[in-house]
Amino acid sequence: MQQFEHIQSLWHSHTVDVKISADEMLNQAKKEVNSIKAKSVLTIVGMAAALFAIAIMWLFMDQNSWATQIALTIMISTIAIYTFILYSGYRLISKNDFTIHPNDFLAQLKLYQLSRFRLYNQLFWFYASALTLSIILYFFELSANFSLSVQILVIAGSLAWMLFCSTIVRKAVIKREKERLSLLIEKFTRISEQFEERS
Amino acid sequence: MEQKDKLFKQIFDTNSKKIFHLCYGYTGDTDAANDLLQETFLKVWQNLDKFRNKSLISTWIYRIAVNTCLTYLRSEKRQGKEELTDNIIENRVEEYSEKNEQIALLYKSISKLEENDRLIITMVLDELPYHEIADISGISEGNLRVKIHRIKQKLTEIYNQHATI
Repeated sequence: MQQFEHIQSLWHSHTVDVKISADEMLNQAKKEVNSIKAKSVLTIVGMAAALFAIAIMWLFMDQNSWATQIALTIMISTIAIYTFILYSGYRLISKNDFTIHPNDFLAQLKLYQLSRFRLYNQLFWFYASALTLSIILYFFELSANFSLSVQILVIAGSLAWMLFCSTIVRKAVIKREKERLSLLIEKFTRISEQFEERS
Repeated sequence: MEQKDKLFKQIFDTNSKKIFHLCYGYTGDTDAANDLLQETFLKVWQNLDKFRNKSLISTWIYRIAVNTCLTYLRSEKRQGKEELTDNIIENRVEEYSEKNEQIALLYKSISKLEENDRLIITMVLDELPYHEIADISGISEGNLRVKIHRIKQKLTEIYNQHATI
């Protein structure tokens, strides 16, 4: 039969080591936010690269049909608009440092979540429709050089790809991002709530 | 800013070990204790200028840590994660020895207590003065003494029950 004193001595005999310094702790916390920022930058860079590639194609390739011209114009405009929206989203989360202005950062993070939600829902359909239209128009000139079977294959392939991106990929991306952002928002809300209650 | 950095580092170095032990006692899990330590000190960092020296800074930090522990576990439960303090402890003993087994048993026994009792007993085990524990937990000192007596008895009872199995 042990007494409480034995329990107390056990407690003291078990030394715990904090394997992290103050700087590392702050940096670790920043890492979670930075990974969202990095992902956002990566998407913007990818979109900008696509925009650049299509612009080069527009400038240096021979296009005889009005349909191709319209197709590339729609494609470039759509990607440019989408890239700008992505950049606006990035600016929302990069404006404030949460270790310095936690409440401002939390407010911006909530706005960012809302902007991403809009981006993956209403705006996505605008984006997908515009791209589909531009692809159809683009194939208008190209298809003249292909046999009927290749034409069908190309159109079916493009539609299948668009459908795949709009359903399975889109849903998976929305789910993953929603989880990450919700966890982060919940954490920062928890962190700021205690002091809101007291002040 | 540099002064704040310096002050924070000093506060972290002085208090982090005790706060980590409190969090570990509460959750029985190193990863969760690390998360709680991080959240606690993020709050300390962000609100350092709000600290008015009305109490000891350690008391202030303990109060933050206690609140963080309570809200953290509630949110973990809401997310449907496993109860932190049960199986984890059993699997964490580094190497078998009688002492390690007793320590594992101690954390397991603590985990059987109610959430608030768990926090109070870890502060008692850390030998915090009663008036400080009363201040941190928001219970009057008189009531706290009675409560602590009851928790000590319960913890010893649970520990002995498990030790005999």
